[in-house]
Amino acid sequence: MGTSSEEVLLMVGHVRFRKQDGCLYLMDSRLAWAPHGQERFLLSLPYAEIRAQKISPDGKAKVQLQLVLHSGEAVTLHFAGDGDSAKKDRDGVKELLQQLLPRFRNQANRQLEEKNRMLQDDPVLFDLYKELVVGKVISADEFWSNRTSEPGAGAVVPGAKQNVGVSAAFLADVKPQADGCNGLRYNLTADIIESVFRTYPAVRQKYTEHVPGLLSEAEFWTQFFQSHYFHRDRTATSTQDIFSECAQQDNKELLNVIGQDVVKPQLDLNNMDDAALEEGYGIAGLPASAGSRGSRESSNSAIIRRFNHHSAMVLSAGRPDRQTSGENGEEPNGADETQAPSKRVCPATSAGDYVDLEETVQSCAVSLNLMKADRYHHGPVPLLSQHYCTGDEIMAAISALHQEMAEYRPRLAQALTSKAAGQAIAALSPGGSMMQEVGQIPADLLAGPTERQELRQLYLGLSELLRHFWACFPISSLALQDKVIRMKGNLERFETTKIKVFEDKLAKSQQNGNLTNHLREMLTVAYRKFHTWQAKQSAKSS
Amino acid sequence: MEEEGERTKRWEGDYERTWEVLKEDETGSLKASVDDIILQAKRRKLVHSHGKVRLGMMRHMFVVIDASRNMIDQDLKPSRLVSSLKLLELFVEEFFYQNPISQVGFITTRNKRAEQLTELGGMPKKHRAALQKAVEIQCLGEPSLYNSLYMALQTLRHVPSHSSREVLVVLGSLTTCDPFDLRSLMKTLNEFKVRVSVIGLSAEVHICTLLAQETGGTYHVILDEPHFKELLMYHVTPPPVTNMESSLIRMGFPQFSAGTVGDGADKPSFNMAQLESQGDVSLTLGGYFCPQCCAKYGQLPVECKICGLTLASASHLARSYHHLFPLEAFEETSLENISGDRVCEACQVQLTKQQVCICPECKAIFCLDCNLFIHESLHCCPGCIHSQS
Repeated sequence: MGTSSEEVLLMVGHVRFRKQDGCLYLMDSRLAWAPHGQERFLLSLPYAEIRAQKISPDGKAKVQLQLVLHSGEAVTLHFAGDGDSAKKDRDGVKELLQQLLPRFRNQANRQLEEKNRMLQDDPVLFDLYKELVVGKVISADEFWSNRTSEPGAGAVVPGAKQNVGVSAAFLADVKPQADGCNGLRYNLTADIIESVFRTYPAVRQKYTEHVPGLLSEAEFWTQFFQSHYFHRDRTATSTQDIFSECAQQDNKELLNVIGQDVVKPQLDLNNMDDAALEEGYGIAGLPASAGSRGSRESSNSAIIRRFNHHSAMVLSAGRPDRQTSGENGEEPNGADETQAPSKRVCPATSAGDYVDLEETVQSCAVSLNLMKADRYHHGPVPLLSQHYCTGDEIMAAISALHQEMAEYRPRLAQALTSKAAGQAIAALSPGGSMMQEVGQIPADLLAGPTERQELRQLYLGLSELLRHFWACFPISSLALQDKVIRMKGNLERFETTKIKVFEDKLAKSQQNGNLTNHLREMLTVAYRKFHTWQAKQSAKSS
Repeated sequence: MEEEGERTKRWEGDYERTWEVLKEDETGSLKASVDDIILQAKRRKLVHSHGKVRLGMMRHMFVVIDASRNMIDQDLKPSRLVSSLKLLELFVEEFFYQNPISQVGFITTRNKRAEQLTELGGMPKKHRAALQKAVEIQCLGEPSLYNSLYMALQTLRHVPSHSSREVLVVLGSLTTCDPFDLRSLMKTLNEFKVRVSVIGLSAEVHICTLLAQETGGTYHVILDEPHFKELLMYHVTPPPVTNMESSLIRMGFPQFSAGTVGDGADKPSFNMAQLESQGDVSLTLGGYFCPQCCAKYGQLPVECKICGLTLASASHLARSYHHLFPLEAFEETSLENISGDRVCEACQVQLTKQQVCICPECKAIFCLDCNLFIHESLHCCPGCIHSQS
C-alpha cells in the first residue's frame, strides 16, 4: 500500500532500479522503491532480510548501493542524480541503513537462535520437529506457532532476564582484597555495576561519556574507587577528578530530598512542640532550625549526610518512574501507586490506630450446605424401572427359603471329585491358567526394539497433533474453527503418510498387526468428535 | 486470666521462667509436670477444627524456598536449608495424600532472583527428587519476594478459576530485595485471588504480615523444628474458600482395563506419561484409558496430556469425605463422673488420667490418645460403627 500507514524516514529521488527511474523510500521497518509516476512499490524489503550493504568505490562513474540479503540475493540501486548530489544521497541512505540494520538484524538472529536452542535442549522436541516438519505433515511455521502459543510451558523461560532490585548493602559487598604489593583488588560483578548505575545515575552518565572512547572500563572503575567521590571523607576539593561533578550533583539532590515534606505528621519530629500555655511557660525561645546544616563541616555530619543520600537513592532506584540524572526528585506519576511522598494525601489518623491492637476479625468462611447428604454415601442410582414386589411376595419368598434350608439333604454323588475341585482352585488362584498376569507380560515381546522406537516416534507426533486438536474444543471463535479444520487435515495426512507406511512395513515383516490399534483408536475418537461438531454446526446454520 | 496467661507462656516457650513450669513432686521426679505439658499439647491439637465450611479441594500451590545467606545458619540442624528441604519432602507426601487432585510447584530464591525448581505437577516423585537434589544449592545473596511471587503468578494466573491458588513462602531472611514495590504486586495478587502464606524462620517482618493480611493467608514464625513441622502440616488441610461461585468440574473416571494377549481387541500401547522421558519406554497392555481421547496412563490421578481432562478414581475423591462429614468433637469430662467400667473403648486400657472423652452419639468412653487418633486419622467413631452393626 502507500506510505500513509508508515513513517517515511528518508525519501530519495532519482534512484534507478533495474534500469527504471524512480524514488526510494526508507520507512520504519522496510525499504521500498517505486518507479516514477507509479503508486505501487516494485521493491519492498523489510530490514530484517538485509544482511549487509555495499557501496561502489568512490572513483567509479556510477554511484551504486548494493544490498545483500540473507537469502544470498543482491539488490542494486543506482543513484542517478547529478554529480555530488547522487553521492550525497547514497551516503545518506547508507548512514541511515547503518543505524537501522543492526536493530533488525538482532531480532531475526535472536529468534533463530532461540529456536535452535530449544531444539538442542530438548531432544524430544527435536524428534517431534523431525517427525512432523521434515516428514511434511505440518509446516515449520505452524509448528513454531503452536509451540509459542502455549501459555504455561513457554511462559517461564529458564534464565530469562529478571528485574533485580538494588540491595542496600551493595557497596559493602565489594570487599576489597589486599593484593600482595600494597594495592587493593575490587571484585566487581555485573550485579554490582548495575546497582551502582541505578543508584547513582550521574556515574552512569560519566561512564557512557568516557568509556570506551577515553578510558577503558578497568581504568574507569579504578578512578571511581580512587576518587574522593567514593572516599569516606569527602572533602570539597575540586580535583581533576571526573567525579567532582557527581559530588556536586549529589549534594543538590540531597538538598532536594530534605526539602520534601514528611509523610506522616505524626513522625515529623521537627514540627512537634511541647504544648505551652503561653509564651514563657516552658518554651525555650525559638525552636532550633530544622536539619541544621551548619557551616561547620564536621566529618560526622558529612558521613551521615552521605548515608542518608545513599539510602534515598537506593529507595528511589526502586521506583519505576525514576528518570535519568539531571532531573531532581521523583516525578509524581498519576497512574503509579508509589507516589512521591509530598503528593501523598495522609489521612488524619490518630496516633492510637494500630492494626495489632484491634480485635482480630475472623474471616467468615462460606458454610457448606449439603442437600441430600445420603447421596454421598452410595453412588448415583440410575433411574431404571424397578420391578416392585409386594410385601406378601417377600414374606412368601422368605418362608420358602427357610423351608428349603430346613429340608436340605446333601447329595454327595453329584458333587465334584476332590481332584477336579483341586484343579479348579489351582486354576483360579493367582498364577493359574484362568488368572492371567495383568500387565506383567513383557509386552516388549510383541515388538522388537526398532519397531518400538518407530512406534514411539509415531506416538510423539500423534500426541502433539491430537493435543492441538483437543485444545480447540470448545470452539468459540472463527480462528478456532479454522484451526480445528486444519488440524483435522493434519491428522489425516499423518495417518496416510506415517501410520500407513508403518503398518505396511509391519505387514511385510509379518509382525503383529495390532501395534497400531491404539493409535487408530485415538484417531477414530478424534474424527468422531470432529464429525459431531460438524453435524451440529450444519444443523445450527440450516 | 492468669491461667490463660500461664498457658500462653508455656506455648510461647518463654525462656525466662521455665523453671516455674516444672514442679517436683514428693519423690523429686518431674514426671507429673512433663505429663502435664504433653497433655496440654494434645489438647491444643484438638481445638483446631473448621466445622462445616466450604473447602477448596482442588489446589494449585507454589512453595517458595528461601536460599539466601541466612539459610546457612545452623540454628536448625544441620542447616536451615537442609532442614527445610527435609520437612518439605514430608509435606509433599502428606499434601498429595490429603489432596489427591491438587498440584504443587517449587521455586527457590537467592541472589535477588527467583528460579523455578519444579513446575506445577501432581507427581510426588518428581518433587521429592528435585527437593533432594536441592540440598546442594549454594546459598548466597538476598532473597527477592517480588521476583518469586511474580514468577508464581505467571503460572497461577492461567489456572482455572474453580481451584484455589496458593503460595507458601518459607523465608529465613529478614530482608527482601525487590525491583519494584511489593504493594503493587499485592494488588495484582488480589486480582487473581492468590493467597500467600508465609512461614518465617527468623523473626516477624512487617512486609510479610502485610502480605499475608492483604491476600488472606497466614503468617507464622517458627520456634523450633517440631513447631516448623506443625506449621507446614497446617497448610496440608484445604483452606476455606472465600469466593461464592461454585462451578461444575469435568473429570474422567477411567476403569482399569487389563488386556490379555490373544484377545482380538488387544492394543499394546505406550503410557503417555512416560513417553516424554528419556529412557526406554515399554509397551504395556493394560492401563487407564482416558474416556475422551483414549490416551493411556499408568497411574491416577493425572491430567490427560492430550485433552486436558482431569482423570481420577473415586477413591481419591472419597478421601476428602471427612471434610464433608466432619466428626464432631467429643465431650470432655473428668474421671469421677464415669460410672461403671473405667476402660477406654478403643484401646481397652484402664483409664487413670483425669480427662476422658465421650462421644455424643454412642456415649462410648475414650482416652485422650485415642481421641486424638480418631479425630486426626480415623475420622469415624469406633463406638458408633460398632453399635450400628
